[in-house]
Amino acid sequence: MLSRAARPALRAATAASARPVALQTANYATLKEIEGRLKSIRNIEKITKTMKIVASTKLTRAQKAMRESRSYGQTSNTVFEKAETKPLEGEGKKDLLIICSSDKGLCGGIHSGMTRRTRALLVDHPDTDLVIVGEKCKAQLGRSSAKNVQLSFAGIGKDVPTFADAQAIADQIVLLPTDYASVSIMYNKFLNAQSYEPVTVPAYSEEAITESPNIAEFEMDDGVLENLREYSLANSLYWALAEGHACEQSARRNAMDNASKNAGDMISRYQIVYNRTRQAVITGELVEIITGATASEDM
Amino acid sequence: MVAAWKAAGLTYNRYLAVAARVVRRSLKEDLRLQAERRGEMDLRFAKWEAGKQGENKNLASANEAAMAEAAGSSSS
Repeated sequence: MLSRAARPALRAATAASARPVALQTANYATLKEIEGRLKSIRNIEKITKTMKIVASTKLTRAQKAMRESRSYGQTSNTVFEKAETKPLEGEGKKDLLIICSSDKGLCGGIHSGMTRRTRALLVDHPDTDLVIVGEKCKAQLGRSSAKNVQLSFAGIGKDVPTFADAQAIADQIVLLPTDYASVSIMYNKFLNAQSYEPVTVPAYSEEAITESPNIAEFEMDDGVLENLREYSLANSLYWALAEGHACEQSARRNAMDNASKNAGDMISRYQIVYNRTRQAVITGELVEIITGATASEDM
Repeated sequence: MVAAWKAAGLTYNRYLAVAARVVRRSLKEDLRLQAERRGEMDLRFAKWEAGKQGENKNLASANEAAMAEAAGSSSS
């Protein structure tokens, strides 16, 4: 109680504050406040660290899936390379863009990177239809260009995408009523663990396949082409989904790594502030006690 | 000649998925559990019309329904 009584006079001398009482309580509260903040930041650090570890383990699996899926996509693309298939420059026909994002956030800017790219594409071709895989891009594009959206898929990104996912999506896209001149798939290309960029790969329409210059090299029955188209769409989609998933995991790992680092910085900063404040309080109390003691001695 | 699965209204992808499921189910128990995880699909989808999101539906059942419809129209 001594400190409380002695405080106002001391405060008034050091700081020319108008309300010394309020300042005093504020000082005590800050110590507690800092303690509380420290605690919460430590908890946040724990959480982000755990998320980072989870993302790291998922990343290795995702990268494995990505490498495997690459051969799916590349093998199916060999046919089109040999046939020299080119996307049709369709007159009056619409284009379709499939965007492979995922449901989950907390992974830096990889979803918004794709959204931005899509918006840039939409400026040039405003009547392109969109099919969006994943909630994140759906939310972003649903706001800006809702009328282009034809289909949206959710539930992807919990685990490594399976080929069954890709097949089901491809089926639903094939069922779309409009006849599209070209179908492209946008996904995040995995450059290395730090960088990704949204790229598009074409998935050809039947017409584009029949009109490719080298198609005569292949011998085929009727109706096979339609199957090939559907199957290659699923292949490319699987590739895109797996690669996008790997990118997402690695982006999440990086984001969580940064978050933990920032939390560590904040903790050390707050620790210093906390110690200083604590010392200041102790010194203040000591000064008060000594002043009080000497004052009563003199009396 | 149209293949049986085509006449039944299945798409090629669906046909493949069914075939893959059969192969997975015929594996031995320990391998089967592992393999069946690769065949899981739990997606929902929504059709958008004029800038509005439609109802969220289960993709698997919607695909089945669409194919049943296709079968009905091709056989009649």
